[in-house]
Amino acid sequence: MALATVLILFALAACSGSYPNSTFQPTTDFNRDLTSLWDKMMFWGTIVFVIVEAILIYAIIKYRRRPGTPEPRHVHGNTLMEITWTLAPALILVFIAVPTVRTIFKTQAEAPASALQIEVIGHQWWWEFRYPEYGMTTANELYLPIGRTVNFALRSADVLHSFWIPALGGKRDLITNRTNYLWFTPDSTGEAAFNGSCNEFCGLSHANMKFRVFTVSPADFESWATHQKGNAVYPAASAASAASVQPVSNAASAQTAIAATTQPPAPAAAAVSPGFVFPREKVPPHVMPTTPIPPTVRIADAVIAAGDAERGLATYSRSACIGCHKIRGNPSSLGIIGPDLTHIGSRFTIGSGLFPNDAKHLAHWIKNARAMKPGSLMQTLGKGEHDPIMNSTVTMGGLTDPQIADIVAYLQTLK
Amino acid sequence: MSTAHEAHGHHYTTTGLDNRKIAIWAFIGSECMLFASLISTYLIYKGKSVVGPYPHQAWTDPSTGRVFAPILNIPITSASTFVLLMSSLAMVLALSAVENKGKPMPPGSGWWDKALTSSKLWLWITCLLGAGFLGFQAYEFTSFVHEGLTIRTNLFGSSFFTLTGFHGAHVTAGVIWLGTLLAIDHKRGLMPSDTLAVDLAALYWHFVDVVWIAIFTLLYLIPD
Amino acid sequence: MATVAASPTYTSSAGTPRSVLMDWLSTTDHKKIGVLYLHTSLFFFVFGGLEAILMRWQLMKPNNTVLTAEQFNQLFTMHGTTMVFLAIMPLSAAFFNYLIPLQIGARDVAFPRLNAFSYWVYLLGGIFITMPIFFWLAPDGGWFGYAPLSGRSYSPGPNMDFWVLGLQILGISSLAAGFNFVTTVINLRAPGMNMMRMPMFTWMSFVTQFLIILAFPVITIALVFLQFDRFFGTTFYAMSAGADPLLWQHLFWIFGHPEVYILVLPAFGLVSEVLPTNSKKPLFGYPVMAYSGILIGFLGFGVWAHHMFSVGLGPIADTVFSLTTMLIAIPTGVKIFNWIFTMWGGSIRFTTAMKFAIGLIAMFTIGGISGISHASPPSDLQQTDTYYIVAHFHYVLFGGAIMGIFAGIYHYFPKMYGRLMNERMGSWHFWLTLIAMNLTFFPMHFAGMLGMPRRIYTYDAGQGWELFNMLSTIGSFLLAPATLLFLYNFFTSKKRGEQCGPNPWDAPTLEWSIPSPPPEYNFAKIPMVSSRYPLWDLTHPERTSEIPHTQTGWTEAEMQTGEYDMTPMHVETETRTAKELGIPMPSSTIKPLFVALGIVLMFSGLLFMPKGMHVPAFVLMGGGAAMWIGFLYAWLTTPLEEHH
Repeated sequence: MALATVLILFALAACSGSYPNSTFQPTTDFNRDLTSLWDKMMFWGTIVFVIVEAILIYAIIKYRRRPGTPEPRHVHGNTLMEITWTLAPALILVFIAVPTVRTIFKTQAEAPASALQIEVIGHQWWWEFRYPEYGMTTANELYLPIGRTVNFALRSADVLHSFWIPALGGKRDLITNRTNYLWFTPDSTGEAAFNGSCNEFCGLSHANMKFRVFTVSPADFESWATHQKGNAVYPAASAASAASVQPVSNAASAQTAIAATTQPPAPAAAAVSPGFVFPREKVPPHVMPTTPIPPTVRIADAVIAAGDAERGLATYSRSACIGCHKIRGNPSSLGIIGPDLTHIGSRFTIGSGLFPNDAKHLAHWIKNARAMKPGSLMQTLGKGEHDPIMNSTVTMGGLTDPQIADIVAYLQTLK
Repeated sequence: MSTAHEAHGHHYTTTGLDNRKIAIWAFIGSECMLFASLISTYLIYKGKSVVGPYPHQAWTDPSTGRVFAPILNIPITSASTFVLLMSSLAMVLALSAVENKGKPMPPGSGWWDKALTSSKLWLWITCLLGAGFLGFQAYEFTSFVHEGLTIRTNLFGSSFFTLTGFHGAHVTAGVIWLGTLLAIDHKRGLMPSDTLAVDLAALYWHFVDVVWIAIFTLLYLIPD
Repeated sequence: MATVAASPTYTSSAGTPRSVLMDWLSTTDHKKIGVLYLHTSLFFFVFGGLEAILMRWQLMKPNNTVLTAEQFNQLFTMHGTTMVFLAIMPLSAAFFNYLIPLQIGARDVAFPRLNAFSYWVYLLGGIFITMPIFFWLAPDGGWFGYAPLSGRSYSPGPNMDFWVLGLQILGISSLAAGFNFVTTVINLRAPGMNMMRMPMFTWMSFVTQFLIILAFPVITIALVFLQFDRFFGTTFYAMSAGADPLLWQHLFWIFGHPEVYILVLPAFGLVSEVLPTNSKKPLFGYPVMAYSGILIGFLGFGVWAHHMFSVGLGPIADTVFSLTTMLIAIPTGVKIFNWIFTMWGGSIRFTTAMKFAIGLIAMFTIGGISGISHASPPSDLQQTDTYYIVAHFHYVLFGGAIMGIFAGIYHYFPKMYGRLMNERMGSWHFWLTLIAMNLTFFPMHFAGMLGMPRRIYTYDAGQGWELFNMLSTIGSFLLAPATLLFLYNFFTSKKRGEQCGPNPWDAPTLEWSIPSPPPEYNFAKIPMVSSRYPLWDLTHPERTSEIPHTQTGWTEAEMQTGEYDMTPMHVETETRTAKELGIPMPSSTIKPLFVALGIVLMFSGLLFMPKGMHVPAFVLMGGGAAMWIGFLYAWLTTPLEEHH
C-alpha cells in the first residue's frame, strides 16, 4: 500500500547517504528528541490514516448504488458514535501532547553554562559567525567540537532569517532587534560535514544564503579556532620571521592557485604552520556547491594561473575590497560590511555556500559578484563588466583580469 | 401552503428588525477588531521608543541637550473627553426627540420639555460637540508637532497619531453622517418613521464614544 | 431523477451586445453576481496555476535557469496572493452569492447594491494586483509580506506597493460582502427556517462571514501600518526606531489563520450538500456538524502563533498555541467521520461532484494528519518553512478547498445553467486531478523532511531532492490538462449540456425547488420551511422520518392533503416575470461599479508618491475620492427598488 511505501522511503531517507540533509539523523541530542516526537506522530498518524481511509474506501465500495438497491435506512446521527470519534482523537492527541510539552521545555531550557557560545548574525545573504570565547569572527563556515554543547545566539543585521542545519536539528529564526537561542550537542556525528541554509524568506538571494558545518574532534577544533583567531598568515605580513622562505611560499601559492582551477583548495603551504582544516578528502560531495558560473562572466584560466600573490596584496590593499572586508593583519583592510576574509583560504566555499572556493570561482566572483549571485551587495568590480543592479558598465576603478588574478592568488594564501 | 410574504408592503425579515440594524451591529463588531489591533499596537510599543518625546516622562535629546516635557496634556484631553461624552448624551436626546415627535405634550410642560422634543436642537448639539472634539484633537496634534513629536518621530508618535487619527476619522465620519440627518431634518423634518436612520447613526456615535473612553483610559490615564 | 425539461423561457437573453453588457455591469441580482464571481475567480485560479507551473518548471532540476531569482520571487508571492485572495475566496464568494439566498428562501441578499460593489472592488482590485506581473514588477516579498523585508528600506521598488494597496482594496470587498451575508443569513431566512434547519453550506458560510468580518480588520491595520511606513515614513516596522518585527507577524497571523478556515469552511459546506444528496441519506449528525464548524471558527482565532513556532516565543506560548492547535483537530476529525457515516449505509451515486467530495475527505485527511505533525512545536522546527509545509497546506487547500469547490461546481452547475455538465469529462477531470495532485504534492513531504527549504528559486545538485522535485513538476504539468478539460467541459456544457429540470440530483434543500436556472425573483412565494430537508419531506418522507423536529410546522393533515406544494407553484410561475407577479426587485444600477472604480483609482494615486510624482498622485487620489464619494451619494439617495 502507498503508506507502506511511504514508511519505507522515510526509513531509507533516515540513514541513506543519498539524502545528506535528511532531518532524521540521530546526530545530536536535540535531533534525537525531535525524531522521537516525529516517530510518535507518524505512529498515531498512520493509525488514523489507515482507519479513516479504510472506512472511507469500504463505505464507498460497500454502499455504492447498484440496480435494485433498496432505499437506504435513514439515520440522522448516533450520539454514542459521535462521542466516540470526538473522544478517540482527543485521547490520541494526549499521547502526542504530553511528549510535545515535555520536549518544548527540554529543548527551550537555558543552555548549560559550559556550552560553546557562537554568535550567528544573519546578513542579506550570508552568515557571520563569531566565537566570543576565541575572540574570532568567520563567515559561512562553522566548526563545532564533537561532544560539546554549542549554544547559538541568533541575531539579524537586516531582515528576518532562519538558521537551520537539517541534519543536526530544528531551526530558529533570526529576528531583527531580538536575540534567539538554539543549542544542541553534536555527540554522534563523527568527523563530518553538513549543509545549513536560511529558511525565512529574506529577499532576492534567499536561496543563496547557505552555510557549511564541520563537526571535528575537540583537539582539532582547538587547533582550528586558535589559528582562526590569529592574524592572516600571509608570508609578507610575517616577513620579519619568514623572509627567507617567502619566495618559496609565493611560488607554492601560485602553484596552488593553478591547481585550484581544477580542484578545490588543499591545506596551506608547508611554509606556514596553519591550524586544523577539515580534511579535503573527507569532504562529502554534497558539501561542494555545483552552481554553474553564469555564461556572461568570463575570465581566462591562463590569466587566473598567472596571478601573483605579492602584486595581489598590493592591488587588494588599494582596491574597493577594503571598504567592506576585513583581513586581520592587513592594516588597510578594515571593512566590516562584508564577510571577514582573514582566513578565507581555509574555507571550502564562497558567496555563502554558493560556489566552491577555488581560484576559478573566486576570480569570477570578484569580477562580477552581482552576476554570480542576484542582488549581492558586493559590487561588480571587473572593468567593462555590466553591473546588473546599477545597470551600468564598470569603468573607473574597475579591476582588470590580471589584477583580479593577483587578488585571487593573494586571498588563496590566507589559510 | 402559507406564504409569509406578500408582494407589497415591508419586506419580510426573520428577526423583524431592519437589515441595516443587523448590518450596523456586524460592522461595529468588525470595528472592535480594528481598534483592538490599533490599541494593542500602541500598548505593545509603549516604552519601546528609542528616542523621545515620550507620553508620560520628560526626555533630554542627547545630541542637542534639548529637554522635552511629557507630551500628553491630560487636562485638555479630559475636557475633550467630556465634550465627546456630552455629545453621546445629546445623541440620546436627539433619538428620543425623533421617536416621540408629534406626540401631544402633557399639560404643564415647560421650556425644557419643549426643548426635549426638538430633534434639530439635539442633532445640532451632537454635531457641534463632535466638531468641538475634533477641534481639541486638531489643537493637540498641532501642539505635539510644535513640541517635536510627529508621526515619524518614534514608535510612540507613529502608534499614537495613527490610533487617535483613526478615531478622529471615525468622529469626522460621524459628524458628516449626523450632518446629513440634520440636513434632512431641516428640509422635511425627521419623523418617528425615520427613527431607524437616526438609531443607526446613534449606535455608531456611541460606539465611537466608547472607543474613545478606552483610548483615553489606556493612553492618557495609565502612565508607563 | 434528471427530469428533462425545456429551459425556462426567461433564460433566453435576447438583446443587443451593448444591452447585455450593460445588464451585467449594472446587475444587482445575486445570481448574476455569483456567476460573475465564478468566472472571474476561475480566471484567477488558472492564472495562479500558470504561475505555479512556471515555478515548478524552474525547480524541475537543480541549478535551473528558466527563471531569474527576481521572477521566481514574484511568482511565488503572486501564486500565494492570487490563490488565496483572487481564486479560492472569491470561488467561495460565488457560491455565497448564488446559493445562500436560494438555500434560505430569500429573493436576494440583504444589500444587493453593496453586493455588486463587493464584486466590482474584487475585480478591479484583482486587476490592480495582477497587472504588474506582466512587467515583472509584481510583489516579491511573499504573500505573508513579513516586515522589515516588505518595508521601503528593503523593498524600495513599487512591487510591494502594489501588494499593500491591492490587499487593502481586496479587503474592502471581503468586508462589505461579510456584512452583507451576515445580515442576509440572520435576517432573510424564510419563515420556519430556524438556525438548525439551515442547509450545511449556509451554516459553514455563515461561520465564514464572521471570520471575515473579525479577521480582516486586523490585516487592514497591519497593512495600514505598512502603507504608512512605505508612503509616509512612520516607524511601525522601522528596525532602527526599535520596532519589533513580530508585531507584523502577530497581526498577520491573527488574520492569517482564520483566513485558512475562510478558505476551507465553504468547501466543507459544499461537500456537506453533495454527500447526503448522492447517498440518499440525511447528513449524519447535523447538529454536531454545525457546532464543529462554529468551534473551528472560534478556535481558529486562538491558534495563530503556530505559524511562529520558530520565532522563539518561549516555551509557555509555544505550549499554549500547540495545545489549542491540537484541539482544533478534534472538530475537524468529527467532520470527517460524520461525512463518512453520511455515506455509510447509503446508496451512493458516483456523480463527478460526489467523486470530488469523497476526494476531499480522503485528501483533507492527509493534510490534517501532516498538520498535527507541526502542531507540535519541536517537531515543527524541522518542518516549518520547508517543502513539508508546502505539501501540508496544498493537501488542505487543494485537497480540501479546491476539491470541495469542484464538487460544488459540478453539483450546482445545473442549477445555474439548467444543463448538466458532461459526466464523462468530469470523471476524467476528477481522476486526472486526483493523481496529478498527489504526484505534485506528496513528494514535497519528502523534499521537506530531507531538508529542502521553501521559497528558494534554485537548489544545489546532490542534495537528495532531485527525484522529488522532478515528480512534483511532472504532477503539476498534469494538473494543467486536467484543469483545461474542466474548463472545456464547463464552457461547452453551458450551451450543449443535457437540459435538466429543477432538481436533477433529487436533492433535499430549497434551492432545488425552483426552476433551473432560477427566475430573477427566485421564489414566486416565499416558502414556509418546516424541515432541514423540505424536498425530501415531500418526495421521500421516509428519508427524514427519523429527524425529530422535521414534522414541526407540518400537521398530518397537511402532509396528507398535499397542502405543502412547493415545487408546483414555481412550475406555474416560471414563465412570469417579477413585474407580472408584482414582486419588487432591486433595480439595476451601475453606481456600485463607479464607487469601486473611484476607490481603486484613489489607491492607485499613492503609487506615484514614492517617485515624487505629486501631480498624478494628487490628481488620481483627488479624482478617485471625488468619484466614489459622488457616486456613493447618488447611490444612497436612490431607492433600492422601483415602485411599480
